[in-house]
This record gives sequence, structure tokens and C-alpha cells, in this order.
Amino acid sequence: MVVLNEKELLAQEKVNNPSLMKTIWREIKSDKLALGSLILLAIILTAAYTSPLFIDQLELKKVHLLTTYKSPSAEFWLGTDEGGRDVFSQLLLGTRNSFTIGFSVTLIAGLFGLTYGLIAGYYGGLVDNILMRIVDFLMVLPSLMFIIVFVTIVPKYTIFNFILIMSIFAWFGKARLIRSRGLAERELDYINASKTLGTPSWKIMFFEMFPNLSSLVIVNMTLTLAGNIGLETGLTFLGFGLPSGTSSLGTLIAYAKNPDIVQNKWWVWLPAALLILVMMLCINYVGQAVKRASDARQRLA
Amino acid sequence: MSLLNVKELKVHYPIRGGFFRRVVDQVRAVDGVSFELEAGETYGLVGESGCGKTTTGRAIIGLNHATGGEIIFNGKNLSKMRGVDRRASVKDIQMIFQDPYSSLNVRKNVLSIIAEPLRNFERMSPGEELKRIQALVDRVGLNPESIYKYPHQFSGGQRQRIGIARALALNPKLIIADEPVSALDVSVQAQVLNFMQEIQKDFNLTYLFISHDLGIIKHMCDRIGIMYRGRFVEEGTASDVYNNPQHLYTKRLIAAIPEMDPEKRFEKMHLRQSINEAYKTDYNTYFDQNGRMFDLKSISDTHSVAVQ
Amino acid sequence: MIKFIVRRILVMIPQLLLLSLIIFVVAKAMPGDAVTGAFMGNPDVTPERIEEIKEKFGLNDPWYEQYGRWIGKAVQGDLGMSYAHKQKVTSLLAGRVSNTVLLAFFTLVVTYLIAIPLGIIAGRWTDTWADKAIVTYNYFSFATPIFVFALLMLFLFSFVLGWFPSGGSVDIRITEGSWEYVVSKARHLFLPVMSGALLLTYSTIQYLRNDIIDTKLKDFVKTARAKGVPEGKVYTRHILRNSLLPIAAFLGYEITGLIGGSIFIESIFSYPGLGQLFLQSIGTRDFTVVTALVMISGIAVIIGTMLSDIILSIVDPRIRVE
Repeated sequence: MVVLNEKELLAQEKVNNPSLMKTIWREIKSDKLALGSLILLAIILTAAYTSPLFIDQLELKKVHLLTTYKSPSAEFWLGTDEGGRDVFSQLLLGTRNSFTIGFSVTLIAGLFGLTYGLIAGYYGGLVDNILMRIVDFLMVLPSLMFIIVFVTIVPKYTIFNFILIMSIFAWFGKARLIRSRGLAERELDYINASKTLGTPSWKIMFFEMFPNLSSLVIVNMTLTLAGNIGLETGLTFLGFGLPSGTSSLGTLIAYAKNPDIVQNKWWVWLPAALLILVMMLCINYVGQAVKRASDARQRLA
Repeated sequence: MSLLNVKELKVHYPIRGGFFRRVVDQVRAVDGVSFELEAGETYGLVGESGCGKTTTGRAIIGLNHATGGEIIFNGKNLSKMRGVDRRASVKDIQMIFQDPYSSLNVRKNVLSIIAEPLRNFERMSPGEELKRIQALVDRVGLNPESIYKYPHQFSGGQRQRIGIARALALNPKLIIADEPVSALDVSVQAQVLNFMQEIQKDFNLTYLFISHDLGIIKHMCDRIGIMYRGRFVEEGTASDVYNNPQHLYTKRLIAAIPEMDPEKRFEKMHLRQSINEAYKTDYNTYFDQNGRMFDLKSISDTHSVAVQ
Repeated sequence: MIKFIVRRILVMIPQLLLLSLIIFVVAKAMPGDAVTGAFMGNPDVTPERIEEIKEKFGLNDPWYEQYGRWIGKAVQGDLGMSYAHKQKVTSLLAGRVSNTVLLAFFTLVVTYLIAIPLGIIAGRWTDTWADKAIVTYNYFSFATPIFVFALLMLFLFSFVLGWFPSGGSVDIRITEGSWEYVVSKARHLFLPVMSGALLLTYSTIQYLRNDIIDTKLKDFVKTARAKGVPEGKVYTRHILRNSLLPIAAFLGYEITGLIGGSIFIESIFSYPGLGQLFLQSIGTRDFTVVTALVMISGIAVIIGTMLSDIILSIVDPRIRVE
């Protein structure tokens, strides 16, 4: 028997079989807009996530009566709000919070939708029928209204509750998507083979079926990430989002409910609004590149 | 005692209709099929597409639910078992699939494909496992270095060999081969078939060989069952069926094998025409008024036919 | 055909029941009830008295009896009393419904007026500058959160340029029915409608563009060309006939988006519709109104999707086979 150097072989095979991540990277590199978006996004996020290192968060919670509504200056890059707090610092912290929440919701909803969809798709038949009737029903609920109602009636409202409430209404589409691809996948013989080889159902779902749907999941998650960040900031804007005291991009934009601020103190809300816009566009451009990478026919690279 | 005994196997699917989607009728994919497999033999199931031969194979291994009848394997009645219990007791039955492209998970390398059954049933250290898999890969005629490759890097014939290696991993007693070569190029078919015969001796395997190709069945099988519309038409040894076909349907099937010798083609054409005539006149002796086949009647020790 | 429609309508019944049940459960979970709410802050009413009234109105009965009574009243059009406005919920809604319906109607009309031509242009002349511009616009409309867009519209056109009013549905001083009244309404509607419509075009443009690109490569279109049908007619007679019909069906599905959007839009433009009422009622804890609004929105979406499914099944027979 040939004695093999495993590491060497594995390395060689890695070159022959570029992973999904490699393909995505190649696709992004070949699309200037997507590459630019990724770099911009990386800069924004790095700034946002390292901001606690050089921002005094306690200071941001205090009210400084002498410096209320200062316009942008060298001291306050983007001016100050009604409490005399630095808008730029709040912008960075808000970005961090908004992104973290959007990401958590995407992850939780994604995981749940994935499991639900896999179960429906794998078993098919009656199970699928019942599970999908439930999703059909949930999809026609006016979810924004329900989220707002839940947010107001939940006792002991926390960030975690907020994430959970948003996640409850964010998984339906994903479940449907996974299920329809799963149904097609279950007809393929490799699933039958696994059954005849004695692999338990849950293992078949997650270790056989799921890897074949992973590109679909990644594409969907990237695109819904943007939507979830938008939803969080929107809810916070309406006043049904993050508990007070935790800054979000929505908190800053919420100042714009006051016509005087909209017109005369643009530095409080406009940067946050534009930042959301830029982030959404960047995530979507990257998402579209990821989508192309997952479908060999659409690739540019 | 026979290795596998299938008694009156039935696989029916409900047809729903009407406003409330009630069951109005059944599709009788397999409708009362009985046969036995002796250890070490190759039993061929032949028939046109849609006759229920694949469904029979899948019902035996548990991929389709048997609505009736018994499947007795090694003295255990499989049709009464469910789920995990059944899998544990039928790890001795394995399957080779028709399509070598869809039967291997493209996201897994050869190592993890073949390791799947081992990881389910046997506790091995990674080292042992690797050795075992390399031996298997070597045995099916592939380079042991290729275990880190992915399915798309292999040809159809090689993929089918990977499928065979996977089926062999647990040292099964019975292998159900569902059209194992019909997706392959003709040039590769013979290689794979001969290879299957080789490993049959080495591993002391019993084959249930499902195919629509009478030539391949003749080449591979000791005994043959001919299926039509979910039922057996005729059963017997290869020579019984090929040299002395009794049922009209069998005769038509065998007459349909293309003739290689140009001299005999004319003769064959006449034979076909006369059988076609007989089909029109004698239809009622072979099918009852519902178009259903009669039960098998034995006409010799090995040979039985479905006639009135 | 008829069978499909009847079955689809029957599916609605459990959906409506389930919706009402969920809303009932949520309503029960809301802090405070009608009685406590009505007498809140009234020192003359002792807790014992409230308990008595609760008993009288059956608020201590088992939940299914309460549910039965509630649903029975709702079916007869009695949605309860709003304690914040001290009037019947139905009459409170009646004053607002027309505004929201008007907003939704014009938003949809403008959406299709923009989306259909753009979708056709992008699909017919793929990879031209026009197509690229439309695709870029579509990226924007997909990515932009509606409240950010609406705010920017408000800031630019109302505050910076001063072209449109920043809130309300009509100038107060104008008499109803006059020509000026209509003009004023239109001016108030313009920004809210555009903010919604410019973003809502996304799915229609996307669908039309993809469908036309797919269809124009189909064999029957090639055959038409080979027969010598002029290019313009290939589109009007063969391609668009296939691609445009389903859009009629998507109308019902848009309702979900419209309801969500109207909450943001009405809040930003202080437009006195149901969405604004919803937020106000949540703010004042006027939960009878909140419950009624969620119920109405849910019913609207359920009926909308049902109509869409039925229209789609008429347009595309393949859907009917489940």
C-alpha cells in the first residue's frame, strides 16, 4: 500500500477545489463596485467596533447644558445633540449596536428558518404540508404591527427581548426558500444512499442536505442582513426599538421627528440617515456579488 | 433457508381526488410480488420502465414503505420494523444506485463518502478508518491517493466504483443493484459488470439485480423474475426464461432483443409479427378482465408462469 | 377552476379564525383592560368597584367565552370603545380609513406607472445604458429603508426647497369639495406617495425585466421573428402579453408591504391615516384601537393574498395543480 503524506494531498486538493469562500472572494475582486463596497463596509465596521476604545461611553450618557445643539466644529466633528453629546461618537456606537443587532437577528432567524425548512423539505409529504400551512399563515400577519405590539407589551424589555421579537417575524421567507430547494434535493440519490447507509435523519439534514444548500443560505443571509438592520433602525426611529440609553442609528434619526431639527439642525440626524443608506447599499452590492458567485452561470470572474 | 424471502409484497400509493382530497383509488406500483433469494446467487428483476422493479428493490431496503406483504431477511421480518431498529438489522443489505452523479454528495470527498456507513455502525479510530477506506478504494480499482478528491473529479465509471466501495464498506450480505450501469457509457458498462462479478466471489455477495436490459440480465443473473404492471409475469432460471419463454409478455420482450446476425433478421421480424398476432388473439388467457396478471403457476421445479 | 377558487376561499376561514385567536391572546396580554383603562385615575372608583364592573362585563369569565363574545361583536361591527378618544372604535376608524386608502391607492398607481415602463425598457433593451441606469435605480430601491428615504424626501422637498407641505392631509382653512381642496389634497399626498412608490417599484421591475429576458429567448418568440413579425409587435403581441398578466396578480401581495410602509410614511409626514392612529394608540395605551387596527390589517392582507392567488390561477393554469 502506498504511504501517503496526508497534508500534502489535502493541500493539493484545496487548490483544485476552491471553497465557496474563495469563489466569493474571486467574484468580489472582479467587481469594482462590490470590492469598493466591501472595503468601505470594512472601514465603517472597524471604526464602529473599535470605537469603545477611544470613546468615553459614560460621558455620552451625561447631559452638557453648555454645548447643546452645537454645529459641527473641530471639537465636535458632527456637532452635538439636545443633551450636548457628541453626535459623531454616538454615530459610531450606534452603528456598532445596529449592526450587531441586525446580525444577531439574521443569525437566529436564519438558524430557525433553516432547521424548519430542512425538516419540511427532508420529510416532504404530510409533515411538509402541515409545516408550510403554518408558514403560509404566519406570512400574512402584518408583522411590523405585531412587532410593535410585542415590544410594548413585553414585561422587562431588554435588548435580548428585542432581538428575539424581531427574529420571530424574520424566518418565514427563509424557511420557504430552504424547503423548496430541500424538496428538490431529497429526490436525489445521495440522500437515499445516506438513508440506506443507516445515517440518522438529523444527520442527513444537516450534514448531507445542508452543505448543498449552503450557498443559497449565505446569499439569503447577506441580503436579509441589510433588511434587518433597516428594520431595527426603523423601529428604533419609531420609538419601539432599543431600550432608551442604548444608542442606535435609529435613535439619532428619531430626532428628525421634530421639524425644527429636520430643518435647522441637520447634523444630528442626516449623517446617521446617510450612513444607513451607505451601509445598506454596500451590504447589498456585496450580497449581489455573493449571489453571482453561488451560481456558476452568472459569475463575472 | 433462503437469505431473502419476499412474500406478497405490495406498495400502493393513494390517488386523491374530489373536493376534499379523499382517497379515490390506489396506484398499485407493486401488487403482490413474491420471490426468494438464495445466498450467493444473482437474481435479476426485469421489466419495462414503470413496472415496479425499482420500487420493489427500494421497498426491500426500506426507502419505500411496503403497504402489504412480508420481507424476511435472514429470518427477521423487516416489514414490521421501523426506523432506527430496521437500519441496525439491515446493515447487511446495501444498495448501488442508478445515477452515479446524484448518488454521491458533491460536497464531500471520497474519504467521507465511504466513511459514512463506517461512522454510523462501527467505532474506529481515524487511523483504522483511513486504512480500511484505502483498502476499499484500492479494491474497487481506484488510486488510494484519490480519497481526498471530490466526486466531480471522477468519470461516471469511477464514480460508480466509489458507490460500490461505499456499499461494500460494511461487508453486506445482499446488495440491491438498481440499474447500476444504465447511466454509464456502453464501453464502461462491461468493466463495471465484470468487476461486480469479481467482488461477488471475493465478498460472498448476493445480488438483487434490477435492470431493463435483457442482455445484461442474461450476462449477470442465475435466476430471473420478469415484472409487468407491478406483478410477476414469469420466473425461472436464465435458461428457462431465455430458451423457453412461456408468457406472452416474456416472448415479446425476448423477441425485442435486437438481432446481431443480418441473415437472421428477416426470420426475427416474422417471429415478432406472429407474437404480435398472438398478443391480440390470446390476450384473455394471460390477463383477466381488469387487465391484471394471474398468479404464478409453476410448470417445472424452477420455472413458473402467470397463466390462468 | 371553480373548485380551486372555492377551496382557496375556504382556506381563508381557518386563517381568519387563527388570526382572530392570536390577536385575542395578544390583546389579553396587553397591560390593562377596557374597564381599568376607562376608570384609570378616577379616585371615586375603588378597586372593589372596578372588580364589580369587570364581573358585570364578563371579564372574569373563561377565555373561550370571552373570545366568543368578542368575535361575535366584531362580526357585527362592534369593535369596542376607545378610551383615549372617548368614542366608538368604528367611528374613530371611519374618519381615517379614507386617508389611508387614498394613500395606498395612489402609491400603487404611481408604483405601476413607474415600474411597468421601466421594467419593459430594461428587459427589452438589456445591457444598454438605460438598462444599467434602471438596474442601478433598482439596487437603490431595494436597499434603501423606507423611513430613511421618506425623511430625505421630506428634508429636501419640503424643508430645503419648500415645494410641498411637510405634514397633514389637507390645508385646514379650505372648504371641502372645492377645486382648491382637491389641489391641496394632492399636494399633501405627493411626497408620501412618491416616498412609498419609488421604493415599491423594486419587485415589479425586477420581475418584468427577468421575465422579458427569459421570454425573448423562448422558441415561440424566435418563431414569431422568423415569420417576419416586426420587432415592436413581437413585444406587444407575444412577449408582453405573457409577462404583464401576472403583475395584476401581485397586487394583492403588495398589501403587506403597503401596510408596513404606511406606518413609517404616515408617521414621518404626520399624515392622519390608520398607521399614524396605530402609533398614537400604542403610545396612549389605547389597546382596543390597536387590536382593531391589527385585526383590520390582518384581514386586508389575508384577502389580498387570496385575491392574488385566485388571479394568478386564472392567469397561469399551472398554479391550480397543487
